[in-house]
Order: sequence, then C-alpha cells, then structure tokens
Amino acid sequence: MRSVQALAVAILAMLTAYDPTLAAEPKPGGIFRIYHRDSPGSASIHEGATYSLNVPFMPIFNNLVLYDQHKAQNSLDTIVPELAQSWAWSGDGKKLTFKLRNDVKWHDGKPFTAADVKCTFDMLMGKSQQKFRQNPRKSWYDQVEDVTANGDYEASFNLKRPQPSLLALLASGYTPIYPCHVSPGDMRTKPVGTGPFKFVEFKANESIKLTKNPDYWKKGLPYLDGIEFTIITNRSTAVLGFISGKFDMTFPTEVTIPLLKDVKAQAPNAVCVLEPNNVSTNIIVNSSNPPFDNIDVRRALALALDRKAFIQIQFEGQADIGGTMQPGPAGLWAMPKEMLETIPGYGPDIEKNRDEARKLMQKAGFGPDKRLAIKIATRNIPIYRDPAIVLIDQIKSIYIDAELDVVDTAQWFPKVARKDYSLGLNLTGNAVDDPDQSFYENYACGSERNYTGYCNREIEKLFDQQSAEPDLNKRKKLVWEIDKKLQEDVARPIIFHSRSGTCWQPYVKNITIMSNSSYNGFRYEDVWLDK
Amino acid sequence: MTAVNFDNELRRAGANATHGWRRLAFLARRYVLGTFGLIIMVLFVWTALSADLISRYDPLTVDSAHRLAPPSWQHWLGTDSFGRDVWARIIHGARISLAVGIGSTALGATLGVIVGLVSGYLSGWVDLVFQRITDILQSLPLLVLALVMTAALGPSLPNVIIAIAIPLIPTVSRVIRANTLALREQPFVEAAKSIGMSETRIAIRHVLPNTLAPLIVLATAQLGSTILTEASLSFLGLGIPEPYPSWGRMLSESAAEYVRTAPWLVIFPGVAISLAVFGTNLFGDALRDILDPRQRG
Amino acid sequence: MFAYLVRRLALMLVTLFGISVIVFVLLRIVPGNIVDILFDAAGFVDPTDKANLEKELGLSDPIVVQYFKWIGGLLQGDLGYSYVSEKPALQEILPRIPITAKLAGLALLFSASIGIPLGVISAVHQGTKLDYTLRVISLSGLSLPSFWLGLLILMASVSMFGAMPIFNPNPRMWTEAFAIYAVPAMAVGFRSAALTMRITRSSMLEILRQDYIRTARAKGASEASVNYHHALKNAVLPVITVIGIEAAFLIGGLIVTETVFNIPGIARFLVEALRWRDYPIVQNLVMFIAVVVVTANFIVDMLYAAIDPRIRYGD
Repeated sequence: MRSVQALAVAILAMLTAYDPTLAAEPKPGGIFRIYHRDSPGSASIHEGATYSLNVPFMPIFNNLVLYDQHKAQNSLDTIVPELAQSWAWSGDGKKLTFKLRNDVKWHDGKPFTAADVKCTFDMLMGKSQQKFRQNPRKSWYDQVEDVTANGDYEASFNLKRPQPSLLALLASGYTPIYPCHVSPGDMRTKPVGTGPFKFVEFKANESIKLTKNPDYWKKGLPYLDGIEFTIITNRSTAVLGFISGKFDMTFPTEVTIPLLKDVKAQAPNAVCVLEPNNVSTNIIVNSSNPPFDNIDVRRALALALDRKAFIQIQFEGQADIGGTMQPGPAGLWAMPKEMLETIPGYGPDIEKNRDEARKLMQKAGFGPDKRLAIKIATRNIPIYRDPAIVLIDQIKSIYIDAELDVVDTAQWFPKVARKDYSLGLNLTGNAVDDPDQSFYENYACGSERNYTGYCNREIEKLFDQQSAEPDLNKRKKLVWEIDKKLQEDVARPIIFHSRSGTCWQPYVKNITIMSNSSYNGFRYEDVWLDK
Repeated sequence: MTAVNFDNELRRAGANATHGWRRLAFLARRYVLGTFGLIIMVLFVWTALSADLISRYDPLTVDSAHRLAPPSWQHWLGTDSFGRDVWARIIHGARISLAVGIGSTALGATLGVIVGLVSGYLSGWVDLVFQRITDILQSLPLLVLALVMTAALGPSLPNVIIAIAIPLIPTVSRVIRANTLALREQPFVEAAKSIGMSETRIAIRHVLPNTLAPLIVLATAQLGSTILTEASLSFLGLGIPEPYPSWGRMLSESAAEYVRTAPWLVIFPGVAISLAVFGTNLFGDALRDILDPRQRG
Repeated sequence: MFAYLVRRLALMLVTLFGISVIVFVLLRIVPGNIVDILFDAAGFVDPTDKANLEKELGLSDPIVVQYFKWIGGLLQGDLGYSYVSEKPALQEILPRIPITAKLAGLALLFSASIGIPLGVISAVHQGTKLDYTLRVISLSGLSLPSFWLGLLILMASVSMFGAMPIFNPNPRMWTEAFAIYAVPAMAVGFRSAALTMRITRSSMLEILRQDYIRTARAKGASEASVNYHHALKNAVLPVITVIGIEAAFLIGGLIVTETVFNIPGIARFLVEALRWRDYPIVQNLVMFIAVVVVTANFIVDMLYAAIDPRIRYGD
C-alpha cells in the first residue's frame, strides 16, 4: 500500500516537473490542420480588409519588420526584424532607413532586393503602373513622400513630417513585401512570397493548402511540412470537427463564448484562450439628416445605452467597455476608467442616464405619445445583427421605435455611402493598436473609411499633433483627450470591444494569440506538433 | 368531368345523411386522418391569429438575464440567446408561415388559373407562348428559382411571397388548361355559345367553376410545400429578415451555434414546421379523396 | 418517331433559351454586384477604381451585349471566368459535379429501394392498419424539412458517437466514404422515398382494379403472382416519371443539405456564388441544372413511350 502511494507521489512529481514547452526539442514534420470560417475573395493580402484573408496567406510572406510572434501585446517595443536586418530613424524623424538581408529568395527562385520593397510601397501609394484592383490601406502612407532603394540591400522611407507610428503599420500582418516580378492579378490567385510556406492551392469554399518552403532563409524553419485550411462556414459543424480531432486548431479568434464552453466540456484537454481582438462594435450615426442632426437626439442615444447588457447577451459578460481605442490592460492607448466614466452614457447608473436621455428627447419634440420611428441598418451577419437587436430593444426606453433593416453584404457599403440610413450597427476592426491608424482611418475629414463623414477640423489638428509627438507619455494624454471628445460628440458611439476564443489541441506548440489585434500573429514559422 | 356533387359522393360512400352536421360527422369518421389534419390546420391558423393572446411574452423583447434558459414553467419552450421566449416566437412565427403559405399559394393559384384558362380557352399562339413559359418555369427547381428571385427582389415578406408564388404557376396552369380543353367540348358550353353568350362570360361562368375541384386539391397540396420553401429560404438566410420570428431563420441561427448547448432551439422550430406541413398534407390527402375520386386509394 | 424527336429537341432548345434569358435578366436586377462586394470588403470605394474594375469585368457593357458575350462563349464551350477566384468557370464547376451527382444518385437509389417496396406493400394491403401506418409515415416524410432532418442526424451522430461526418475529398476508408455520402443522401432522399411510395401505391391500386388483372385473377393466377408480377410491372411507369421529376426537386433539397453537411458540391456552390454575385458561376450553374432537368424529362418521356405501347409519338 505504502509503495503504491509512493509511486503515485513520484509520478505526480514527475508530471509537474515536466513542462513540454520548455523541455521538449521541437519536432519537425506534420501537416497543421485548421478550419477556416469562410472563403476569402482572393489570396492577395494587400487587396483585402478581412483577416479571413490574412490568416491563411500570412505564412507565405515576410515583412520588413514584424511584431514578435510570441508576445501577445503588440507595441513599438515588440517589433523585430524580418526582411530588414536593422532600421534607423534620421535625426529629424523624417527618414526611416532599413538594411535588408541579402540571403533571401522568392519562392520562384528569384533573389529578393530593395527594388521589391520599393515596388510594394509604390503600388500601395498608387504610384506605379501596375495597380491593385482595390487598395484599402492607401491612407496608411499619406505621410510618406516616397520610398527609395539605395543599392540592392537598403531602402528608405522619406516622410512629409515625423510619424513614429509608421513602424507600427509596417509591422502589421497587413504589410507583407510583394515581388516586383509578379503581377497583382497573379498575386490574387497564386501568390509568391519569401515566407516559411509556399502556396499550393486555393479551392473556393473548400480548402487552402500551403507547403513547407525548404529554402526558407531562416535555417531550420519552418518545422511544419504544411498547413491545410478546410473551409467550413457553419460554426457549429466546424467546432464539432475540432472536438472530434479532425483539426489541430480552430480558426483563430473565431470561437464564440457558447462554443468555447462546448469545447471545454467535450475536449477538456484542448488549450483555449479568450483574448480581446481590437474590434469595436459601434453605432454609425447619420448626423447630416434629421433626426440625428440634432446633437440632443444623438446625446440621448448615447445615454440610452446599457453596455453591460450588450456584453452580457453576446459575451456572457466577457468583453470590454471603452472608447475608440481598445481598453486596457491589453490595449495600450485606452483612457483611464475614471476619465471614461465622466463621458455621458458611460456612468454606472443606467436609469439616471435614461431619465436624462428622455428629457433630451422631449426637448427635441419627442415623448411617450410622439415616438420616433427609425430603421437601424446592419449587415446580414450574426455579429452585426445580434447587437442591433439588443439596441432596438434598449432605445425603446427613450421613445424610439426602431425596425431592423438587414442589408445584404453587396448593398451595405453603397447604402452607407449614399447616407441612406439613420442609424447603422457597425464593426470596426483595427489592424494595429495605434491611434494614427484608428483616428485617421475612421474620423478624419475625407478619409475613405470614415463612413459617417464625421468632420471636425479642431479635432483633426489634434490628430496631427499626437501623430508627430515623439514623447510616449505626452502622446498618450493627447490620445485620451481626443478619444473623450469623439465620444462626447457622439461621432460614432462605441458600444463595446469584443473578445474571441481560439482553441488548439495540446500537442500544438508555439501558438500565441495576439491580445490587441487580430491581423498580425499568423506567420507560424516555428509552430510544431508534438505527436 | 370533375364537377363536384357532394351528395352523390356521400351516397356512394354509404352515408345515410342529409343534414349538415351529420354529414360532417360522417366525413370525420370516414376520413380520420384528414380530420386530424384539419384540426392541426385550424389550430395553426388560430395560433397565428391570436398569437398575442396565447403568449405572455413579446417575441421581440430581449432579456439579458434569462438567456438560453431551458424549457420550464416560466418559458415553456425555453429562451434563445437573446432571452426571447421561444414559445412566443414560434406562435408569432406561425403568422409568417401562414402569410407566406396562404399568400403565395393564393397568388400562384390565381395567376395559374388565369394563364391556364386563357391558354386553354384561346389556344393558338397565345397557348403556345404560355406553354413555353410554363416549360421554362418547370425546368428550374422551385428552390433555385425562388432563391434567385428573393436575391433579385430583396428579403421582405411580400417579396418572399412573390418569389415562392411564381414557381407554382406552371403546375396550376397545366391542370386548368387540360380541364378547360376538355370542358370546351362539353355540350353545355356549346349550348351557351349557341344562345350567344360571350366567350369571357362562358369562361368565367361555366368553365371556371367546373375546374374548382382539382384547383382546391392542388392548392392544398401546394400549401405545405410553400411553407417548406419559405423555411428553406430563411434557413439559407434569404427569407424574412430578423427580428421577425420566422421558423426557418430560428433554425438557421441556432443551428450555427447551439446544436449541442441549447438543443431546444433546434428541436422546437423544426417540430413547428413539420407539424404545420404535416397537417396540411393530411388534410390535402383527404380532400383529394373526396373531391377527386379517380385518385382515391 | 423521328419527327417527334426533332420536335421535342427543338422545344428543349427553346426552353433552354428562355431560361438563359430569365436567369440573365434576374441576375442583373439583383441589387449590388461583385464590385460592390469586393469594395465592401476593402471598406471604401474609390469611384475611378470601381469604374475600372466594372469595365474590366465587362459589367459596364449594355446588358444585351453582356448577354450575347455570355451565350456566344457558352456555345464555344467558354464559360467565362469566375469573378471571385478569377479561374475559368468550367474549372470551378466541373470538379463539384461528381460530388453532387454521387449524392443525388445515392438519394434516388435510397428513395427507390425504400419507396417502391413500401408502396407495393401499402397498396396490396389497402385499408389495413399496415397501410394506414405506412401512409402516415410517408406523409411525414413529405413534411419534414430536409435541412432539419440533416441537423437532427448530426445531433444524434454527435451524441451517440461523439463525432460527425465531415467532408473529406479523399476518404481513407469505405466507412468514411459511406458516412460522408450516405448520411446526407438519406436526409435528402427521405422526402423522395415518401413521394415514390405514395405514387407507387396509387398507381398500383389503379392497376389492380384494371380489367386484365381481374382476368388474370379469374384465370386462377395466384394472388401473390397477380400482385407482384402483373401489377408491379405496369406500375413501374408512373414511378419512373416520379423519379424523373424528383431528380429536379432533389437539387432544391441538396442546396440545404450540402449547406448543413458542409459538402462542396454544386448546390451549395450556387448559393455561395449568388451571395458573391459571381454572375458567370451562377448563370452557368443554373443553365447546367436546367439542362439536367430538361434532359431527365426528355429521357423519362422516351422511356415512357418505349415501355407503354399505348402512348403514341404524337403530342
């Protein structure tokens, strides 16, 4: 009896001492099987604006610089070299120079040089002969005057004014380097990169296959023989496939909380994480037409929101409340809680807020007998539709009877662009946790992605001021002030910032899910399978 | 000739009944399944009409505190992910199914009758053209046609009704046309012509009433399939938009997420669809036996 | 006979032409096009980029020109390019056909092998409890939405085996292939089986009442021989018709079933392509389905005429 006990103790001790991630040597080989949530439109990362495209194709490429793939929180401090060996800012902060590797080859055997870097950014800035079909992140390079190649292994970005955040944008999964010698059309159907995996095939609605690049410039990598994505649009089917062991990992940051519970119950060994993904659910308000041209009605709307109820329904309480910038601790730029709660509608007493909202509505001429009838436009996708249904229910309390206007994906953007809506339920995903990206893209006058057409010249001056500010703490204070003003203006009321789950089988090693973006963490060069 | 004579039918069936109620009682005994179907249909219609009275809950009200509650005394069929009462949503959903079912069947039948009558009565090139159009409509599966049509028209109740009604036209018009062709040769039509009745009047007064029996049989049979088509369209995301509780949509939402964690969300809407269609099918079968004895089994 | 064939074939062509026009026009009424979707994904529209892309895809041509481009290409075997994948439409459609064909074939096989025997049994035992039960079952088969049936099967499979069939283009074992194809085929075929059973039953009954059966009985043929030999042989005709018609209806069932079971066949592809406004795919797929249906009807008619001498090759 005693010996049995001793044995058990010994085994336990061994088990606790054994930490596979530290102890085990990476084993090469194996195909990494992941399900994919839907069929991306093409294979060209630069022409897309969805991580449906980023996840499967990021392993084909390299950037100049990249966020450290094993640090969950992306920041300027976690940026590491990739195709660039090193980088340096000029003294005036207006020139960024990269020294490039000279041992890199494209998948088709041609050597990689500074000309490819120039080609890529010329195309992104719309300066080259060859054009992308669409170029969603053109505005990222608004401050870049030009990109020059100095010989084969050095490239410089010349800026119109200092912009420390440029490096953050270049480190995103959205900024791979494309080859000069492959046309944009070919990049959409059979992309060529320098990355750890080569493109094999993409069958729409069926699968995407990548294979190991044996000549990868990082010697000994990648460990995997290949990656296979099976496209399954029905989430429940997909998760069941994971539970039954048909997949090594779920589609990253796509598992909802009810399904996460399901996985934990059915596959207790699976490793699951729930992380913020820097996607905010917000209301776009058409402030150029009645009734929301009236700031009182807009304020009433902001005051009527019960953010906790939204989060309770969609996330069982596990999501975050904040302004434009992703809330802390994962978010780098969020204003402190005390400051947040001074913004109308963020206070904890919902009934008091709504009383105030009703007063504002009455001031604008509405009341229990004269209710406001509107439509809330949103896309025909559950993550859009679900919060819209809650919103309709909540604004009943301030004399607004709203009807849901579900818009097909093909018609959503044209409708918003025509300003053919009064309220819209919208999702904004941020590629990097950086104020430049978020402010200029969504709130600057004339920006293409500023759906609501919000334009406030004074705030715009502050945008430029924070962008050029080299001192991090000063910049943070400015960002907080801007964020607060945007919320008080009810430019685009932020309801919540979501979190999402990812699960993988215990034998999958070296996966890190980013906690303040969902576009940057999928290079997978050192992922390995302990089987 | 398919004119209905109830009394004859009943006598043939061995009923010794002359009074209205007794006749009904006899029919109910003879067609047990049909009666059962009728009861389901009546219940279905009654539920749809008085949905507000039967349920304590509003089908659209969100309740964050009672999400995904399993069936209980409070919520007979549980609640969905928004805390909305499933029972309330199902009985309100009956309205949509009923509206689509009756709406598109009626629209399809009316258009089918017009096409069939005109085509059978006028013959010649009009007939030829109509025949080809029916051919075309019949060569595409109902769901495929409805799918493309709802995409073209946009998702709303009237559009869904139209999209489902149009593919129904050919079946109806074929039967009506065949009947009209046969009726045209009948002596009473000849007689009407000889006393100088106009063609339109003959068509409406004499030919149309005599095609009613097969029309009723067909329409009842189609009622069930329209309800199913609406459910399929909604399941594919092209039917009546949220937040209106359509059975097919309730299924498509829950199927994606809650197959295992909240099975009541998958089971009950499906039962509702099946039961409603089953009722109309049972009733339609019995009706066919009564009105169209040649088909009787 | 020959004249009849020519006439039938000519009518088929007219029908197909009509379908091509209707589908083409309907698609152009659908609000929004592929360019809108692509730009929606990108998050903004640069009007010149958009116009360029529309021109590149030929969407800015007058609708009549677009139509003749399509038909002209189709007649030469050129189906155009998918807007989404930018691959030849033929290359996208062809590999999906065998998948759906296998499913449809299995479903029909299932429906015939269940529906015909049950229909005969039901007819022979007309009016008995057995007949009643079978009729109720067949009616319920017509009432269950096939996607719901599919979902229930999935739920059952997961709760019993802890796993479910997930489509795999190269199944390793026959059991896997069986699970992948047969389970969804049963979910779609259930309805057809019910229909086949009903039609078999009613045509059997009709034939059992016919004079020559009475004669056969009077001649002293055994009850079983009469029922199963004489009657069934003649009842096969209407059953063929039903199976012919069902082939068309199956496509409808397959659309939802392929969605539920995540099978990359043509039926689900049609829905996806419609969602992306991928006109070349939708147009050609609908035409393909129409050709299948029209041909199936044609073959059924021919079979009908060949089996039943009472039918003349007239109209």
